[in-house]
Amino acid sequence: MKAPFSTYLNDQTPFFREIVSDLSSFYEYVSLLATDSVGFRLSLSQRRKIVSGSNMTTERGVVVRVSRYGLYSEFAFNAPEDICPRDSVQGDVTAYAKAVSAKIRENLEAQLRLLARTKSEIYETGVLADEPLELFVEKETERLPEKEDMSALIDYCNGLSTRGMECIEGALDVIVNGSSTHINKLFLTKNRFLRQSYVYTECSMASYARNEEGEVKTIYLGKSGCKGPETFSELDECVDELAKIMKDTLKAGKIVPGEYEIITSPEVTGLIAHEAFGHGVEMDMFVKKRALGAEYLDKRIGSDLVTMHEGALCDNSVTAYAFDDEGVLAGDVTEIENGILRTGICDALAAVRLGVQPTGNGKRENYGHKVYTRMTNTIFDSGSSTKEEMIASVKDGYLLEGMESGMEDPKHWGIQCIVARGYEIKDGKLTGNVVAPVVMTGYVPDLLGNVSMISNDRCVYGNGGCGKGHKEWVKVADGGPYLKTKARLG
Amino acid sequence: MLNYIKEKLQAMHCDAYEITEKKVTGWEFYFIRHKLDQNRVKEETTITVSVYRSLEDGKFLGKATGEIFPTASREEVDKTLEDLYYQASLIKNPYYTLTDKPLPETEKIVEVDVDKIAEDFVTLMKEIPETEDKFLNSYEIFVNRVEQYMINSNGIEYRCTYPQSMLEYVVNARNGEHEIELYRIGDSGSCDKEGLKKEIMRTMNFGVDRLKAVPTPKMESIPVLLSTDVATLVYEYLGAQTNVGLKYMRVSEWEIGKPISEELRGDKVSIKVLRNLPNSSKNFDVDAEGSYIQERYLIRDGVVESYNGARQFSQYLGLEDNSIIYNAQVSGGTRSAEELRSGDYLEVVEFSDFSVDEMGGDIAGEIRLGYLHKDGVTTIVTGGSVAGNMEDALKDMTFSKETTQYDRYVIPEVTCLKNLRITGVV
Repeated sequence: MKAPFSTYLNDQTPFFREIVSDLSSFYEYVSLLATDSVGFRLSLSQRRKIVSGSNMTTERGVVVRVSRYGLYSEFAFNAPEDICPRDSVQGDVTAYAKAVSAKIRENLEAQLRLLARTKSEIYETGVLADEPLELFVEKETERLPEKEDMSALIDYCNGLSTRGMECIEGALDVIVNGSSTHINKLFLTKNRFLRQSYVYTECSMASYARNEEGEVKTIYLGKSGCKGPETFSELDECVDELAKIMKDTLKAGKIVPGEYEIITSPEVTGLIAHEAFGHGVEMDMFVKKRALGAEYLDKRIGSDLVTMHEGALCDNSVTAYAFDDEGVLAGDVTEIENGILRTGICDALAAVRLGVQPTGNGKRENYGHKVYTRMTNTIFDSGSSTKEEMIASVKDGYLLEGMESGMEDPKHWGIQCIVARGYEIKDGKLTGNVVAPVVMTGYVPDLLGNVSMISNDRCVYGNGGCGKGHKEWVKVADGGPYLKTKARLG
Repeated sequence: MLNYIKEKLQAMHCDAYEITEKKVTGWEFYFIRHKLDQNRVKEETTITVSVYRSLEDGKFLGKATGEIFPTASREEVDKTLEDLYYQASLIKNPYYTLTDKPLPETEKIVEVDVDKIAEDFVTLMKEIPETEDKFLNSYEIFVNRVEQYMINSNGIEYRCTYPQSMLEYVVNARNGEHEIELYRIGDSGSCDKEGLKKEIMRTMNFGVDRLKAVPTPKMESIPVLLSTDVATLVYEYLGAQTNVGLKYMRVSEWEIGKPISEELRGDKVSIKVLRNLPNSSKNFDVDAEGSYIQERYLIRDGVVESYNGARQFSQYLGLEDNSIIYNAQVSGGTRSAEELRSGDYLEVVEFSDFSVDEMGGDIAGEIRLGYLHKDGVTTIVTGGSVAGNMEDALKDMTFSKETTQYDRYVIPEVTCLKNLRITGVV
């Protein structure tokens, strides 16, 4: 079935059009993004059960962007009644929209007075393009979160947790988490009218247990995609894998710090893609001169084997939208081609400032937040080796699996990844020894320059959220094949 | 809207409910160097409703929470509440009750002038002394006036207003072609100009030092000193171990009356919950569940004295009177910061990302800037990582007499951790 576009947004379209029209008399550029996304969140374990009708991406609100004399300003709101009571305005929707527009201008003018008092200069920016475009997208989904049979889903998840407790040795609890959201967005300018509706779902199973030293160890597996709550059924296959991972984790020792040959699993490969060349080529950072990537365009930053793509069109993941939060159509760019850095990703404002084309990567945490250049799907291309061949080629190193966290450093191309587990490899064979957790650090061009083998498969992961610095959380996905390279582990 | 929701919930005969309305007026300014990139205003209202149902003759309590959009039609509100009522019947947690303890006061209204606070931030950033070699690359200013109103079906009602601000800034230091950056982000109530100026200047000086840094050498274990905001994570870990949620989940084994470690050889830590802390971003007297925040010690002289956290898990552990922590003070240790900075040690002032896992206690962070003091010589280092576990680190943890404030926490100026693994680069 198609995910039906929001009735609320359709009903409000005349009001939104009037706001854009009225503000256009005062500003050189006006756009309006309206959202109406509904969904749910579950967290079910043996000890604690939670159900919520909202999650990280459920929202209903409006953000208006205006520009005049090179300055871009925004007004975000979700309760027009609070800024301008309807009964205080006589007349039809046009009259009310004019009154709301007047309040928007009034608020932004107050900020301009502060800027004048503080003698603040403006970062002058050209006017955004506004070529005529209409788009209406309703993506396919099997089920809708707002119509989900919650009784059956909760029973299923409770059952998974119970099954996990039976299978996972030493488990203190097994938690089934998940959320599903039906995203609806409408983007409007004088010349553009874009609407999209799609569903994405992410779910996971986690467990924790105590090792012999009494330390609590947590493990986790996730599933996700641009699809409905049917995604939860994929968790079935996680139970046995979690049982194996827990055994490995509980017996894990500490790694001897040093530089090793490593093979990264697709999940860890994705983390590298994200931290190394996701954040590193977000071009709003080029505007601020915060990214080393700007100096490396068309230069070598990896071995010949390394090719990487980025874009909402690259995979049918949690971030497979049709247009971004600035009304730019989704893209697919080749960031790295055979080891050469070809391009970055760019939001619309940064693109005007840099004189390049936007790539469809302007994203907001929600209507209440500013747009930044953000990742969508960041994925290394597959190679020609098998995982077995790669392991056989390692003399002394580790197979790294499971990600915990990572941190970008676009200015210096340092990379920090906290990896869940390392499986020791000696003379081409897995020894059965496990270390956990593993802090992987390095210099990105070295890490990618040393890539010597790439597997012929790939996986994409979309669980969790990505921040810019330590805020602005959005959905992203990343992944790729197994990579063989070298890194410092500690 | 709130009255309609309340009437509807009463008509549904749910066993209990909570309604929270949060209104935020936000002013935001984004600068690249000192030029305004963008200005934003936010007017946002969030209405959250929790519906509770007693199940199986009071053996279980079901709860479902959802958001009512302020623009929702009556039909949409009805549908959302009916969905929550149904979903609450599917969630079977052991029975507990909502708070009914009368509050000493039902409101705390603080005048918040977002215009004035924002101007203070903008002015402050322009006043920071800069040179060609050390300067502000960019900064983002967020100032909110928050108005929060909560009611529950037991007659609890509380309204408060408070300021909530955030400053994110990036500092650059340059030496010819070589340029580095340091990133900082911090919450506060309003703008503490003097405190922030001192902190930004300190960060700039770190930047200059980072230009001189050499790769961190390989080394045996060495005491690691933390003297920036990342040290709050160490104390948050301790606070988390006294959280009733982690107790009930059997993650924390800490018990009231028992020491936090059987092998405490360092300073004995004390953590006190504070209702208010000047310039904290969360200054309110009543927690999110309507419980009056009790000022008390969580840990005193290394011994657990009380727990903190949500009412549900508190009752499961037999505690009736409890509350969630927002502000806390960690007492100073036995030695001065200067005394802690003696002998061989590595003081790390910048990590890529420093993390302390609240569940397992694992510590990890890549070193972006550290000062290695060894055999009387100080070397500025970068690269490599620090890793370990809080269980080990806690045994010999020491901290300075002097304290400092990072938003909601007062903590020792310097915290010294031992028993960590240092991965050097060369």
